[in-house]
Amino acid sequence: MSAVEPTDASLLQAIARGRTDAFTDLVRRYDRRFYAIARRMLGRDADAEDAVQLTFLHVLERAGAYDPAWKGSTWLYRVLTNVCIDAWRRRRLDEPVAATRAAAVHAPRTAERIDVERALARLPAEARIILLCCYVGGLSYGEIARVRGISVNTVKTQLGRAKRQMRHHLEERS
Amino acid sequence: MMTSETDEVLRALLRGAEPSRRLAERVAAEVRRRAARASRAVAPRLDLAASSRGIVSVRLGRGLTTAEGPRARAVADAAREQLRQYLAGERAFFDVPVDLSAVPPFQRAVLRSAASIPFGTVRSYAWIAAQAGKARAVRAAGTALGHNPVPLLVPCHRVVRSDGALGGYIFGTSLKERLLGLEHETPLYVGSSSTRIVCLHGCPHERRIGADRRVVFASIADARSVGYRPCKVCGSRPVSRSRERA
Repeated sequence: MSAVEPTDASLLQAIARGRTDAFTDLVRRYDRRFYAIARRMLGRDADAEDAVQLTFLHVLERAGAYDPAWKGSTWLYRVLTNVCIDAWRRRRLDEPVAATRAAAVHAPRTAERIDVERALARLPAEARIILLCCYVGGLSYGEIARVRGISVNTVKTQLGRAKRQMRHHLEERS
Repeated sequence: MMTSETDEVLRALLRGAEPSRRLAERVAAEVRRRAARASRAVAPRLDLAASSRGIVSVRLGRGLTTAEGPRARAVADAAREQLRQYLAGERAFFDVPVDLSAVPPFQRAVLRSAASIPFGTVRSYAWIAAQAGKARAVRAAGTALGHNPVPLLVPCHRVVRSDGALGGYIFGTSLKERLLGLEHETPLYVGSSSTRIVCLHGCPHERRIGADRRVVFASIADARSVGYRPCKVCGSRPVSRSRERA
């Protein structure tokens, strides 16, 4: 048994060749990381699981188009953020009644968690996904820039603004 | 608060979202389900009728076109191609005119409300009735949608029951379910990371964006906030709305 873990890139190439075990490995490697971002982006467990599932399905369908010039994780986070952003677009446009009903069945959480979620929900979608890639995903500025198709400077500006807004919202409530 | 302190607070507060243990199993089950379904999914064959003012009717049939004159023929051809792209997940909006001149006023109001439902979202029959100006006429709104002469182009499949059940559909509930599933997975705003232009999915410019350059946005405003600009061909048009000529 080899002690060396396959890289993300080699897993993606194996998936493109139809290796289902590689897909299973990739899901195991990324499901928690993806979920952590999707959950904070979308605010609901069911929406987050749905987004992560869709992300993996897209990965499976599109692995054939993976270009090894990309770092594997950067390519994967592009797929995830594209799915999460579109899920947020649909969520935001939900009929108000349906949204309220869904919010009411949430499991109780700590006041602090609720504050963070409220503060996050008030950030523009683009700023939020960038903040989450940085603080939850642990991606570098350069990786976030590639993931979202923007410049490193824009990443820094968006992060700075998002952090100021988060701090403001959290201080407002405490 | 110092920046490094803010960084730590954020890291701590944002930690701790755990998926259910079944998430990986759920993904595997969905992959199997799709593999089994893929061979069965066939695009519906549609009969189209057009006047010189727009599409008059869309029906399940044998792929026939009824159109008199070159203008009606051109509208029908454009609609057929856009419907094909939509059903293949390659398009998220229609820009062919519909001709509702033969439709009675209340039904026309109902269809206009349905036409305003954004791509990928759903509304209730009660919402439709209220939008059409008769909040209590929920059943009548349902009947009006059930007689939609131009399904797909006017997206009556985006109307579901308030209790979350699917409700009926002129082309059958299994197609309704498929359409909602398709829209659920199809993005609306797609930008190109090389040109920094954002398009509606299905715009001819959007179709030229390579796989590695596709970045999805939640709105035009979001795209602008990170330095993208709307496409001049599709960017300023209202979405999910067929132009109506009544």
